[in-house]
Amino acid sequence: MTEYSRMAKGNFTVSGPAATPLSAVVNLPFIPDYVELWNYSNIKTAATHSVTRAWWDVNLLDGTNNPTMLELYAGSATSTVFDTIQTNGISTFSAGQLLQFGPTYSHAIGDFAITKASPAQITTTVAHGLNSGDVVMFEGLFQSATTGMPQINGIPFTVTVTSSTVFTIPWDTSGSNYTVFNTATNTGNIGSFKKVLYPYLYFPGTSFISAITLGATTTVSTTDAHNFVVGQEVAFRIPQAWGPVQLNSLPNTLVPGSPVYGYVVSVTDYHTVVVNINSTAFTAFNVNQTVASLPGLSYPQIVAVGDVNTGGVIISAGSPLYPSPNYTPIGTTNVSTINGPAIRGSFVNNTSQGFVIGAGTAAVDTTSSIMTNGNIIYWHAYVHDFGKP
Amino acid sequence: MSITTTGNLGPMILQSLAPAMLYVPTPTMNYITICDKVSMPANGGTTCRFMRPRALTPPTIQLGNSGIDPPAQVPQRDIIDAQMAFFGTGCIINEQVILQDQEGVLAWVSERLAVAMRQAEDLILRDYIVSAASEINAGGGSNGFNPTNLGVSDFSLVATTLDTNNAYKFMSGIEGMDRFGTGPVRSAYFMLSSTELQSDFDALTGSGFLSQWNYPTNASALPSEYGSVYNIRILASSEAPVARNAVTNNAGTTTDLYYNTVVGKQAITHINQDGYSMNLIYRDPYYSGMLAQNATLAVKFAQAQALTQDTAIRNLLSTRLSNLGV
Repeated sequence: MTEYSRMAKGNFTVSGPAATPLSAVVNLPFIPDYVELWNYSNIKTAATHSVTRAWWDVNLLDGTNNPTMLELYAGSATSTVFDTIQTNGISTFSAGQLLQFGPTYSHAIGDFAITKASPAQITTTVAHGLNSGDVVMFEGLFQSATTGMPQINGIPFTVTVTSSTVFTIPWDTSGSNYTVFNTATNTGNIGSFKKVLYPYLYFPGTSFISAITLGATTTVSTTDAHNFVVGQEVAFRIPQAWGPVQLNSLPNTLVPGSPVYGYVVSVTDYHTVVVNINSTAFTAFNVNQTVASLPGLSYPQIVAVGDVNTGGVIISAGSPLYPSPNYTPIGTTNVSTINGPAIRGSFVNNTSQGFVIGAGTAAVDTTSSIMTNGNIIYWHAYVHDFGKP
Repeated sequence: MSITTTGNLGPMILQSLAPAMLYVPTPTMNYITICDKVSMPANGGTTCRFMRPRALTPPTIQLGNSGIDPPAQVPQRDIIDAQMAFFGTGCIINEQVILQDQEGVLAWVSERLAVAMRQAEDLILRDYIVSAASEINAGGGSNGFNPTNLGVSDFSLVATTLDTNNAYKFMSGIEGMDRFGTGPVRSAYFMLSSTELQSDFDALTGSGFLSQWNYPTNASALPSEYGSVYNIRILASSEAPVARNAVTNNAGTTTDLYYNTVVGKQAITHINQDGYSMNLIYRDPYYSGMLAQNATLAVKFAQAQALTQDTAIRNLLSTRLSNLGV
C-alpha cells in the first residue's frame, strides 16, 4: 500500500559543452528518497568509460557520505562493471530560501589566481566543481592590504567554465586599480569564493552592472543573469564613482519627483540587454574602482520595476500551450519554472525542490560521469511511505 | 528500622504532563507588517497587475499672447505584474496517535501549521525583497569592512534618498514631552533589521540612536520596534536576512552581511487571491484508505508580491561592530 508515496518519471536530452561531465536539475513536487536513471544513449551505444545506469538512496551512507551507485562500461565496451560517485553525484535540493551557499574554496583547499583581463579568468589548483551558469561570490581578494581585486568582493558572478580548473567571470579586471590576485602569494593567503546555491528564487530583480555601452540605446551587461524580457521596465542605480549617474531614475530635473525608467528593447543573452534610453551624452561607465574606495563602496545596479507586456511566454516546439515563465542562467538557454502561465516580465516565484544529477566522476573509473552532451536520460524518482530504519 | 522509600515503593506512574505547553520560540514577522495588502479576485487569472500613473510635465512655460494652444501631453503609466503562487504543507496523523496521546495533538499541530504558514508568508516576502530591492552599502561605520557596520550617516543617507524620491513615511513624529530621559521622535520610515545588530544600535546611543524606551510615549511603537535613528524606526527580528561569513577584510577576518531593508509606504505589496490566504484543512481518517487509519491536517495559501514603489525601498547592507553572543 502506498497511499502517500510519490512517484515521478521523466526524460531529457543533456545539453552543454562536449566531452565534459554535465549536471542537470530536475524539479519535482517532492524531495525524493530514491532516484534512478538510465543513460539510454550509453546503453544503446556501448563505449568505454560510459555510465549506463545510476541510482541513489538517501539512506545509503558510506561513513558520512551519501554516494551514487553506477553501472558502467569501464575498460571494456562489452561488459559493464559497478562503481560509485562519492561526491557530486545524485543529490536532492530544497530551494526555498535565499542566501544559502556551497562550500568555500580557499587556500585551505587549494589556491586560485585571477587574471587582469576582460573577462577575468580564474584558475584553481584543485577542481573547482562548478558548471557554467553557476553563480559565485568572492571574498577577501586582497593581494596586500591595499592591492588586489577586493573591488569585486561580494558581487554575484555567473561563471563560464572552460575546464575543471578554469572559469571566467563577466568583469573587466584589466584596469590599473586591479592587481593580479593569487591566494598562493598574497599576504596571509586570504581570499575565497563560494557558490550561491539558489540565485534566482525570485525574478526579475536587481542585478549588478559590469559594463554599460552608451549610445542612442544603452547596452547593459550584468554580473549574473538579469532574467529580463523585452518590454521589461527598468531603473538604474548608479553611484557617483561609476560614471553615468544620468541613467538614474531619480532625481528628475524636468519633472521633479517623477522617476525616469527605461524599457528593455532587446535581450542579447543572459547578462546583456539593450535599454531604450539615449545615453549618448552621458558620463562613461568606469569599472576601474580603487581599492581605497572600498569601505562604503556601493555597486551599480539595474532594477526591474515593471513591464509593458500583455501576453505570456510564446509557445515553442515541445512546449505546453501555455508555457510557464522561464529564466536564463547562461547563454540563451531558457529554463522553465514550475509555475502556471504569467505575463512576461512579471515578478515570479521560482522556489522549487527535486534532485540534481551532478557532474562528479566515478571513484574507480575516474573518467566516467553520469552524462555528457547529447545523452538521453530517463529518470525515476520516488518518496516512499515506509522505510527502515 | 526499615524505611520504605521510592526505591522499593516507587510511583506506579512516573510522569504527569505539566498543565500548559511550553512556548515555541518564533521570530517576529516584520515583513508582512510593512506590506500593502491587495486581494486578487477569484477567476482573475494568474497575474495581478498594478498601474501607477506617471506625473505630467508641469506647464511652466507661459502661453504668451499668440492664442495658440501648447502641444498636448501624452499621459503615461507604469505597469507592474506579479504572478500568484500557491504554497502548502501538512501532516498525516495516525488515529492511534490521536487516540492514545495525552495532549491535544490535533490542536497543537493545527496551531503549528498556522504559524508555519504565517512564517512562510514572511520569509517569502523577506527573500523577495532581498532579490528585488536595490542595495546601498553602509560606509558610515568604522570596522573597515565593505560594507561597514551601520553609522548614523548611513541612516541619514538612506532616509535622504527615500525623501528625495518622495517616498511616504509610515509614522508621523512623536512630539517631545517633559519626561526624564526621553526625546522627540522624527516622522519615520521603517528599517527591518536583525536582532543581532541591537548591540550596534545601542552603541549609537547619544549619537543618533533613541531607544524605544526613550520615546516620549511608546503608544505608537510596534512590539518589535527597537528604537530610531533620525528618520528611521528600527524593527528587529531574528529572521532578518543574513549572509553568514560573506565579507572578508584585508586582514583575512570574516564577518556576516546584514540586509537592512528601509521602506516607505506602498513600497511592497502582498497579494492574495480571493481570500485564499490561510486555509486550514482537516480531513478525518474516514477519507484515508480501507481502514480509515490516518487523519490529515494541512494549510495552504496563495501569495504573490511586488515592489510597487521601487523608489521607496532600499536594502542597506551592513556588517556588524559587536561580537555575537551564543
